[in-house]
Amino acid sequence: MRKWKNNVFVAVTGACALLSCGVLLLIVGAIFFRGLPAISWNFFTEQIRLVGAAGGIFYNLVGTLILISTALVVCTPVALGVGLLCGVYGRHSRWRERFMVLLHLLNGVPSILFGILGLIVFVKFFGWGKSWLSGGILLGAMILPTVTIALIERIESLPAKYLEAAAGLGLNTSQIIWSVIVPQSLNGLITGSLLGLARAAGETAPIMFTATIFAGATLPHGIKESPVLSLPYHIFVLAQDSFDPSVGEKLWGTALVMVGMVVLLSLIALPMRLRIHEEAYHP
Amino acid sequence: MMLRSLRLPLLVSTLLAPLWTGAATLKINGSTTVNLPVAEAAEMLRAEQKMDIQVDTQGGSSGGISALGDGLVQIGMASKHLSDADRAKYPKVSFKEIHIGEDAVALVVSRDVWESGLRALTKEQVRDIYEGRVKNWKQVGGPDRRIAFFNKEPGRGTWEVFVHWLYGDPKKAPQVSLPEVGGNEESRNKVASTKGAVSQLSSSWANGKTVFALALKSEAGEAIEPTTENIATHKYPMSRPLFLLTNGEARDEAKVFVDFVLSERGQALVKKHGYLALEQLKK
Amino acid sequence: MSIAGWKRRATPTLLFSFGFSAVAVLFLLMMLVLFLWQSIPVWRHEGFGYLFGKQWFYRGQQFGALPMIYGTVVVAALALVMAALVGIGTAIFIAEFLPSRARLIVKIMVELLSGIPSVVYGLLGVLFLRNWVYAALAHFDPLSGDTLLTAALLLAVMILPTIMTLTDDALRGVPSAQRTAARGLGLTHTETILSVTLPQAAPGVLSAVLLGLGRALGETIAVFLVVGRQDNQWPSNLLSLRPLIESGQTLTSKLGGSETHIAYGDPLHWAAIVGLGLILLALTVAVTMTGIRLGTRKASDA
Repeated sequence: MRKWKNNVFVAVTGACALLSCGVLLLIVGAIFFRGLPAISWNFFTEQIRLVGAAGGIFYNLVGTLILISTALVVCTPVALGVGLLCGVYGRHSRWRERFMVLLHLLNGVPSILFGILGLIVFVKFFGWGKSWLSGGILLGAMILPTVTIALIERIESLPAKYLEAAAGLGLNTSQIIWSVIVPQSLNGLITGSLLGLARAAGETAPIMFTATIFAGATLPHGIKESPVLSLPYHIFVLAQDSFDPSVGEKLWGTALVMVGMVVLLSLIALPMRLRIHEEAYHP
Repeated sequence: MMLRSLRLPLLVSTLLAPLWTGAATLKINGSTTVNLPVAEAAEMLRAEQKMDIQVDTQGGSSGGISALGDGLVQIGMASKHLSDADRAKYPKVSFKEIHIGEDAVALVVSRDVWESGLRALTKEQVRDIYEGRVKNWKQVGGPDRRIAFFNKEPGRGTWEVFVHWLYGDPKKAPQVSLPEVGGNEESRNKVASTKGAVSQLSSSWANGKTVFALALKSEAGEAIEPTTENIATHKYPMSRPLFLLTNGEARDEAKVFVDFVLSERGQALVKKHGYLALEQLKK
Repeated sequence: MSIAGWKRRATPTLLFSFGFSAVAVLFLLMMLVLFLWQSIPVWRHEGFGYLFGKQWFYRGQQFGALPMIYGTVVVAALALVMAALVGIGTAIFIAEFLPSRARLIVKIMVELLSGIPSVVYGLLGVLFLRNWVYAALAHFDPLSGDTLLTAALLLAVMILPTIMTLTDDALRGVPSAQRTAARGLGLTHTETILSVTLPQAAPGVLSAVLLGLGRALGETIAVFLVVGRQDNQWPSNLLSLRPLIESGQTLTSKLGGSETHIAYGDPLHWAAIVGLGLILLALTVAVTMTGIRLGTRKASDA
């Protein structure tokens, strides 16, 4: 009887697992097989023509790269600052708890609200119109928790002996930070950044009011009124405005490129992340 | 990875960009209906005359008007006349409507409605359907099926032409709560894939394969189809002009663009996308 | 780590750290303050009717957010139930019954798949899911394939990986000594899981579920494309299932739509839109805070 219950349970949970993996594989398969026909060298190097029916996605790629690079530049100092505060200066104080709460709160904010905030601050108050910089800053804020938490986990898992040795050699705190802690925790920062960028690359809501347009932008010039094209917004517009067969393939191709970018960034981060993860949970 | 190594050069060139961009950017925004020929015209001018043109379709016709009024673009695209309210909102702007072609708004239905024999509706019937008094197709001569009305987003030129015909003034349109669709393709796709569906759609998009345009019955009971003839003579009531809007006379790049669209090649584009060119209109 | 004898001197590094940390704090505060401030006109106009009003007609200056709150909550709750059932089941399977090699492979696959952007999910929803739902529900005569249920299904798939990964972490965090002890007492594997591992992992699992809820509440793009965007869909009977197969509107689908552009120039309309953002913020903050509180009540060590 009990054995029977055991088998049923295994079967049920196994079925769940099968369902999950099946659904997820189906999705990836759909994107892959529908998008593959569109992928070619030209796809990457040409720009959009005929409202998406011809040409490639060159400037969309460029735009997305600009946005995530900016996000990285904006996010890194703040992540480092908060990381040092929690991991070094405020290590055993209540500050760490407070900032973890802050980071989790920020992480939970829906992405559309970043877009609305950008509309208020950058478009309305600053009068920038649509600007790549607004998009970069908003995306940077959005990925801050991901980057920072990865960094903090890394800092906190640094073996004490490195720091004690450094202190023993007479280094003061600042020196210890820059010569020991930061270099050693760099891979945590990189891992977090890669994961954050993977997320930022795919986000539409923060940038659709503030930074991106559908066609016509190439490289931005200046800050005001300088939007960029982007991959996710391209898909978003075409999903609503065009189902012509000629566009469909390109649309899937764009989706495949986006998913590919995300997967690639996550894959690079994966070995490091698994290691940090295991160290944190099973020291 | 190729893309990542492009990032630094791209960033640098972004920063240096102001040094080499010479001519001013021509910005165009507005109706998705007008966008089709305009986007293609922009592509041609970009390729041939190296003009820097940005085209976007934020907010439809209303978005085009407000973008022009707010000084964010040099040319607005609208598929409806400017109303007094529009002009009153921007008293300092002298809007100029440049007629580039003509289109009609049709009520398109799904295959099952069309094949039941329903081919035309009167204004009263449409009003009853829109306001929810008539909920089943059989009440107006169609199959026994709930009416799925996909309402165009208010603010879209297509919607305004529709309510203008029904009520004479968009302001007099009653408040209704119907499922909404945005762009023309979303409208077509949803009608095509849903039984008993109807929506407002630019008549050139009614392909007669997946969605079908109904005729409108006049006061005398004559069913007027949205044919080229009927639209050109304004016999079909829901015809609408396609406009490029400028603030005062078009200058510089804007003038080049407007002249192009009014030229033979530009008008050929208008026809190519299913609309009526100016020469086809009989006043 | 305790560096013996470090003192808090105002070194440049310290200032750097404190300075940038302040930036992070100020950002969140700014968001809250701005949303509150910009939405004041609508609170004045409607008072509490804003939250409980059932009619949203912006041209008539009527702003009631209740149907959208209903839509948001229903879609998120439904998605959560579906994702939690399947996700926790999957996590139990991979954490407890799979050999570690297979477990790692599945885990990596799931991790990667959780990165698929929401707009791609939206695309899949528009082109496939809404037609499947329409066909499957044909017996019940839905108006179209754009329903609250469609949005919930799409969301469920989107938050599934999150719940799965975190539940797996929580389960693995239970010390193996506990499990061994239970097996030593003669419990079957299932009984061990149900009476020892799962209760111990409960705070972590709850956190996972709440995190999934937070994401479901805040998802915009995918929901926007398949929910139908029909305003004022307040059910006459709250307990009936009918609204699930009708179109609806959520806070996020309204915010991501065309009204945000239209509202831009009009103070009252704009305040109403920002107010929706405020309500959404409040909901997600509440869920996040609950998740944090529950997460800190970790199970005691063996």
